[in-house]
Amino acid sequence: MNKPKPEYLRPALIAGAVAGLLSGLPIIGAGNCLCCLWIVGGAAIAAKLLASQTPGLLTAGDGAIVGALTGIVAAVVDTLVKLPLQRYNLELARRILDRFSEFGTDIPSGVEGWLDLGSGSLSPGWLLLGLFFSAAVYAVMGALGGTIGVSLFGRKAIPPTPSAPPAAPQGPSDAA
Amino acid sequence: MEASPDPRTVRAVYGATVAGTVLWLAAILLAPWLAGRGADGAARIVYEVFAPVCHQDPQRCFALGGHPLAVCGRCLGIYAGFAAGLILYPFVRGFSRLALPRARVFVLSILPLALDGVAGVLGLWRSPIEVRFLTGLAWGAILPLYFVTGVADLVLTRRRRRSERGLEKSRGPT
Repeated sequence: MNKPKPEYLRPALIAGAVAGLLSGLPIIGAGNCLCCLWIVGGAAIAAKLLASQTPGLLTAGDGAIVGALTGIVAAVVDTLVKLPLQRYNLELARRILDRFSEFGTDIPSGVEGWLDLGSGSLSPGWLLLGLFFSAAVYAVMGALGGTIGVSLFGRKAIPPTPSAPPAAPQGPSDAA
Repeated sequence: MEASPDPRTVRAVYGATVAGTVLWLAAILLAPWLAGRGADGAARIVYEVFAPVCHQDPQRCFALGGHPLAVCGRCLGIYAGFAAGLILYPFVRGFSRLALPRARVFVLSILPLALDGVAGVLGLWRSPIEVRFLTGLAWGAILPLYFVTGVADLVLTRRRRRSERGLEKSRGPT
């Protein structure tokens, strides 16, 4: 008997969008510093959503697939959220540095280089490279989170099989 | 959740995971090694690779040759624990069985890390780097039981669906 293929995309899109948003926001995004908390957690939530919409039992592979998809979606959303914020942060850092130099304060060596590196990372090539790398890392972490999610939320009580209808009473034999 | 999979597939997934883990751990050590040899540009790239997954606060990182590793002590513990869990995997699970750990194993292994992390965020205590490493190690050690199982099952599921599709095509429209 073939098990129907679960619908992975919807839970992955929902959980991935939330995980990517949380990862991209300043301060809150630092949650990823704890074993990719938002990505692993988001993938586990995706597995829970998948479990709630799938009638049968989920396998570890189902969790890995939905988790990996969640990670990829999160990487795209994370990049999109960080893009305007990165421009803003660099601009802010440049203004602060300019203000420091107006007051004759020495700028630590390497800071200008760091800002240049930051500007370089806004170029389309660096952006795509960063997206590719974060998608790969987040997909791996997501696969892990999705499998953990299945182990926590994927088990369902197997509904009792309907008992067989009572056999029709045998009529008295004609011989009686 | 238990299944009897093709041991060759599980062994292949296990081998790929070992290779990836060795590369990942080597890259963590590569960053300070490059910095120590004066290759600042290359070291910076390796540090940047790990930036999305770790805060890299030098005060919370082990050092190599006076330069911090590419990840903090807790993250290093998680990855080292993952490597240790991979070494134990064949003895704990073998390659002819796919099974996920019970929920209470998950809770017990993550509890020290969660308590230490939450207490640190709330400012209740500031644990030394060795404690961070050990709590990460405990959590990381059970992760291969999820990762190898999940990926091996994914590969097996895809292979099974492909063969089912092939079978349906060969039967043709009814």
